[in-house]
Amino acid sequence: MKAFLTMSVTEFRLSIRNFVYMFFAFVFPPMMLLLFGAMYGNDPTPFYNGRGAVDVLTPGYIGMILAVSGIMGLPMQLAEYRQHKVLKRFKATPISTGTIMIPHFVVNSVLCIIGTLILMIVGKLVFNLHFSGNIFYFMATYVLSMMSIFSIGFLIAAIAPNNRAASAIAYLVYFPMLFLSGAMMPLQLMPKAIVNISRFMPLTYCVEILQKTWAGDPLSASFGTAIIILAAISIVCTVVSIKIFRWE
Amino acid sequence: MIKVTNLTVKYKDLVAVDSISFEVKKGEIFGIIGPNGAGKTSAIECLEGLKKSSGGEASVMGINPANRRELYEYIGVQLQEASFPDSIKVKELCKLFSSFYKNPADYNALLERFNLADKKNAYVKKLSGGQRQKISVVVALIANPQIIFLDELTTGLDPQARIDMWELIKSLRDEGKTILMTTHFMEEAEYLCDRVCLMVKSKIAAIGTVKELVEQAQLSQKISFTSKKTDREALEGIPGITKITEANGVYNLYGNGKNLLRDVVLYITEKNIDFEDLSCSKPGLEDVFLKLTGYSLGAAI
Repeated sequence: MKAFLTMSVTEFRLSIRNFVYMFFAFVFPPMMLLLFGAMYGNDPTPFYNGRGAVDVLTPGYIGMILAVSGIMGLPMQLAEYRQHKVLKRFKATPISTGTIMIPHFVVNSVLCIIGTLILMIVGKLVFNLHFSGNIFYFMATYVLSMMSIFSIGFLIAAIAPNNRAASAIAYLVYFPMLFLSGAMMPLQLMPKAIVNISRFMPLTYCVEILQKTWAGDPLSASFGTAIIILAAISIVCTVVSIKIFRWE
Repeated sequence: MIKVTNLTVKYKDLVAVDSISFEVKKGEIFGIIGPNGAGKTSAIECLEGLKKSSGGEASVMGINPANRRELYEYIGVQLQEASFPDSIKVKELCKLFSSFYKNPADYNALLERFNLADKKNAYVKKLSGGQRQKISVVVALIANPQIIFLDELTTGLDPQARIDMWELIKSLRDEGKTILMTTHFMEEAEYLCDRVCLMVKSKIAAIGTVKELVEQAQLSQKISFTSKKTDREALEGIPGITKITEANGVYNLYGNGKNLLRDVVLYITEKNIDFEDLSCSKPGLEDVFLKLTGYSLGAAI
């Protein structure tokens, strides 16, 4: 337990020393919110079914934070640790493999939550952000979204032969997903073709369920589909990753 | 402390370690030496439980190295080319590794001993190569280990840092620690190791103290001097000398025997043969290696 805690605290410190990661998790999403909030405001509009633009954008940016952490942060850390034989060095001690691996997931989750809180505080202070859903439903969808995105990151770490490949795959997955999933800009603004492509992006389903539970929309059939898809992604990616993950 | 019997390590079709056997005794520095690619790292990592063996047996303090978590309560390791997280500080690294053990050694005392006390708040990646290697040893010692495994510890260090490291390793042995190390530096093995095993092409070519290996190889000592007023015939008849060469007045005499140098000096003084620049070189591990393999380790690297 002591090893697990010390490992988590140390990994947390190391993560917050990573400037790029901190920028994209803590600074970039609120910046986007300030930019688009300034453009569209947060007054109710029929275009968003009577909601304000900021209230609709915020759950998308939360998805963006999850993606930065899960698709970029997590696999790059793990690939870096494998390449420089840090994982191997940790294996040369009496700690369990869980104590080596789980802190990475814990720390990235905590960073997501901090990023989300910063975003919400900025939204509240500047645009009077509204949350009109059920907080427990929202938290449940948040956790499921995080699990599915992190499992994809874990898979990237598992299949990448080295840390360059891991960064390359992470970028290739992260950026298209960010723009084509409705995380960056609501799908309502996108042409039909992009909406169709977005159906292949796991993040789309995260943003969808986060938006719905944020707004307190009645739970529809498509909501159920999204939950099933994300749960399936979480399970498949995690199982495959554990099977193929190499320590060096 | 360590017993290895017919240990074999294979990667697909490649045999990295081919049925090697040896024992390491308590309180000794045992060196596995050989050129790169001889299988040293595969062998040591097998004993550290980090590689699976394909055959044979290994026991480290009676523990099968496959029981990794039990094994690491008693051993400390430094891995070849392994590094630590990029932006970690020395103190954080020490604290982290201390949390892994039930009874960790006091890292402050270790840093003090390794002259790193003033580097506690420095980032590990900002340290010099020598300091980083010392940190790897400190981290290995946090385990309070009875056996320390060192894999190519001094590779890449400058000569002064290497000599510092040698003294540190000796002091660890003098405290009663058992050390298993690999190196491809012959002078390092000669200076440090109580016993060595020479590994060549996945197999053990010879095993014993450096002195034993040199004796077993029956290598000649070489005695050289310059002389202006003598010839080769005048030198024949010195007891123990088996071969004489001469070039530009420099005579090289080869032979065996405990008192070879004394006999040569006595002989040439008696015969009033003039001599200058007398030197005697004893064969070392490098020569043993050359004799056993037919190539010099220096050339192999």
